[in-house]
Amino acid sequence: MAYDYFNPGTLRFFLFDVHGADGLLAAGRYSHFDREAIGMLLDTLTDFSDRELYPYLREMDREPAYYRDGKIFVHPQFEKIFRMAGELGLIGASFDEEKGGMQLPSLVVNALYFIMEAANNHVTGYLGLTAGAANLILSFGNDELKKKYVPPMLSMEWGGTMCLTEPQAGSSLSDITTMAHPTESGHYLLRGQKVFISAGDHPYAENFVHLVLARLPDAPAGTKGISLFVVPKYRPDDTGRMEDNHVTVAGEFDKLGQRGYCTTHLVFGETGDCHGWLLGEAHQGLGYMFQLMNEARIATGRMGLGIASAAYYASLRYARERPQGRKLPTAGTKEIGAPQTPIVNHPDIRRMLLSQKAIVEGSLSLVLQTSYYVDKTRIATGTEKDNYELLLELLTPVVKTYPAEAGFQAVNQGLQILGGYGYMQDFELQQYLRDMRIISIYEGTTGIQSLDLLGRKMTMKNGAAFKALAREIQTVMEMAHGYDDLRVYAGQLGETLQATQQVLQTLLPHLLAGDQERYLADATVFMEMFGLLVVGWQWLKTGVTAKKGGSFEPDFYEAKLHTLKYFFHYELTKTTGLTAILLNREGLTLSSQPDYFD
Amino acid sequence: MKILVCITHVPDTTARIAFTDNNTRFDKTGVQYIIGPYDDYALARAVELKEQLGGSITALNVGGSETEPTIRKALAIGADDAVRVDAEPTDSFFVANQIAHVARDGHYDLILMGRESIDYNGGQVHGMVGELLGIPSVSPVMTLIVEGQKVKMTREIEGGKEFVEADMPLVAGCQEPIAEWKIPNMRGIMSARTKPLHVVAPVSDEQRTHVGSYELLPPKAGVKLVDPNDMAGLVNLLKNEAKVI
Ligand SMILES: Cc1cc2nc3c(=O)[nH]c(=O)nc-3n(C[C@H](O)[C@H](O)[C@H](O)COP(=O)(O)OP(=O)(O)OC[C@H]3O[C@@H](n4cnc5c(N)ncnc54)[C@H](O)[C@@H]3O)c2cc1C
Repeated sequence: MAYDYFNPGTLRFFLFDVHGADGLLAAGRYSHFDREAIGMLLDTLTDFSDRELYPYLREMDREPAYYRDGKIFVHPQFEKIFRMAGELGLIGASFDEEKGGMQLPSLVVNALYFIMEAANNHVTGYLGLTAGAANLILSFGNDELKKKYVPPMLSMEWGGTMCLTEPQAGSSLSDITTMAHPTESGHYLLRGQKVFISAGDHPYAENFVHLVLARLPDAPAGTKGISLFVVPKYRPDDTGRMEDNHVTVAGEFDKLGQRGYCTTHLVFGETGDCHGWLLGEAHQGLGYMFQLMNEARIATGRMGLGIASAAYYASLRYARERPQGRKLPTAGTKEIGAPQTPIVNHPDIRRMLLSQKAIVEGSLSLVLQTSYYVDKTRIATGTEKDNYELLLELLTPVVKTYPAEAGFQAVNQGLQILGGYGYMQDFELQQYLRDMRIISIYEGTTGIQSLDLLGRKMTMKNGAAFKALAREIQTVMEMAHGYDDLRVYAGQLGETLQATQQVLQTLLPHLLAGDQERYLADATVFMEMFGLLVVGWQWLKTGVTAKKGGSFEPDFYEAKLHTLKYFFHYELTKTTGLTAILLNREGLTLSSQPDYFD
Repeated sequence: MKILVCITHVPDTTARIAFTDNNTRFDKTGVQYIIGPYDDYALARAVELKEQLGGSITALNVGGSETEPTIRKALAIGADDAVRVDAEPTDSFFVANQIAHVARDGHYDLILMGRESIDYNGGQVHGMVGELLGIPSVSPVMTLIVEGQKVKMTREIEGGKEFVEADMPLVAGCQEPIAEWKIPNMRGIMSARTKPLHVVAPVSDEQRTHVGSYELLPPKAGVKLVDPNDMAGLVNLLKNEAKVI
């Protein structure tokens, strides 16, 4: 590996030792890959990232996507990246073999994408959206749609997008107004506009396949009246000839970060007939979209993790090289005239490094844990499968949010380590900070994820998902009890779990009384607390694994245990304050009045 | 067309290099191994030639069983089968002798390898293999085109290029930009597990050289900054401390 934006040893440790990738590979569904093949995949993606992704990260920021004469232009390196990604087989990596995919475990696919994202977070969105769109067509499309659209998407010759957002309908998808009128020939005529559409146009795809949420004329109001359509930029006829489908590219948004990853404004059907084909049943569109949402949300959290990882290693490198000031005396007088010491020798710098490491590796573990549950839902049956589905539902908003919010703090600390240089364009930290900021916004804001967590997931099936998680946490606590120096942390995690239960018991009466507004008023505070609980669980699991040891040097395990301790002392303890906020009966956010802010 | 691609199993370019046993042995602990980067180009060109002209590619490595993951990477990239000569690659002659033996049996049209390995950088094996087989050997080759039985190559020479032609069979020591760098794709990685990897015993243990010991370069000395106006100080340092004038 030529650059350090992630640690390959740490990735392998979490993948194989903490999350038991070998066990998954032994299952029939995934047995066509073994540990050596996975190792080769990890190496291959690292090589690819070293050569084709990381060296272009800064350029993609400085030479961002732009709009001219109805077209979007992106960095020319994307041409090669898309071709190689298609050849590699990245688009269909997790698809079933019978659908033309590689049927790799989601655990592995997410590890591979994490490597690429740590190297260059402007790239993977193009690939992930194409994969997501192809997957929707494969899941809900008829044979003709599958045959026509999916193969060129798998090779990345065509790009895919997800078109949900409209100017008046961002978080609130029930308010979309794009219309789809049926015709006698079977297709629909689309009319409307979509904003903020990632990867919506560029010169390095022959065609784009937009998956568009729209309403039929007779659709019921709200989310139950939304249908999903396949709307290509060019309509291929049976001979392969392409006809303009009147999807106008109206502009490119000028953004704070991820400037190489284009964000487009698309207008459907204004200049002529824009044909769309219904996917699956009418009015079921949002449901279909949500089936993909779990993975899209894991992917977004994973992208935040990637950026935070890159920022951590960049700041670590700097901390080891930058001499500034002298170590404070530990016994007696200061040594006058001593040379300056590298800043990594200052405890406050190490605090910031520990904080980053705790957040980055905690997020990595959470992303892999959730991916593992995705795989388990695919191989388990009966009640076991139900259990994994519940866990996945519950963790999805958390795996989207923790790496986004805590990750932003981590990147911010990375920047702080560079002092004034962190603020300068010459160093990459300011770019990571800007790139990172989007993670808590798209794919559902932190506010919306928090409503989902507290409003739906905590209460679904009589709290069955939370009970399932509590069981998982208890299993790890029991394992930790077997090690003298972990026992105290198992105890602390148990107390946090109890505090979470207490908060829920205190809030639930509002819900039962029909006062959803009060119940959900501080959902985001609850999310913060819950994220710490969940990542605490991951760190304890990591500690148990480190205690068992293995093929790494003793220092490696020692560092993991030290970081665990840091997390429990400096991060998990924050839940005490959060509990106090959530148990406060005044409901201050709710009772505040709009004019208080004048 | 039958192509033999000889690959080395060498430490990653970023590996920390250290020696043990009184500086007589390379310390392998914690070292990641890769296909030699020049060999990687040779393999990539072989894959391109196969795509263009058909035929088969055999990857060959002289090494212990620990090199098999590296060999399987060559299979993943596009070799059809592989041979591992089960022996420590002790010196250039020993390796060349093993390669020549396999090559003689296999009747290959082209024997491609890197211009040199990046561990000991001998750069001799291709020449020796050519000599042992009595066929042309050309290195370092930057382009290689096959036209019928003829191979047209560009060699890098001091201050320019040389255009060379020779008939097959021949040996070429390759370097970039002979081919576009290739990474294995997922299907290749999956199928590499089932492609044949034959392990054969070495034909002789003859070697012509023995390493006495290794020495690392001394660590870089610190830098002294001299005020641009202090010419006398600079001269003094160059004369009395660095002793270069
Ligand atoms: C760079 C970028 C790329 C994007 N890519 C795509 C894409 O590819 N496809 C696509 O369809 N969309 C895309 N989006 C849109 C994105 O998903 C939305 O921006 C996001 O969901 C928020 O919608 P909004 O911007 O309209 O904000 P709003 O919905 O107006 O939200 C504003 C604020 O109000 C809060 N809020 C809103 N409703 C509630 C509520 N009910 N309760 C409490 N708080 C609430 C939000 O949390 C937020 O803090 C992208 C956006 C960006 C910025």
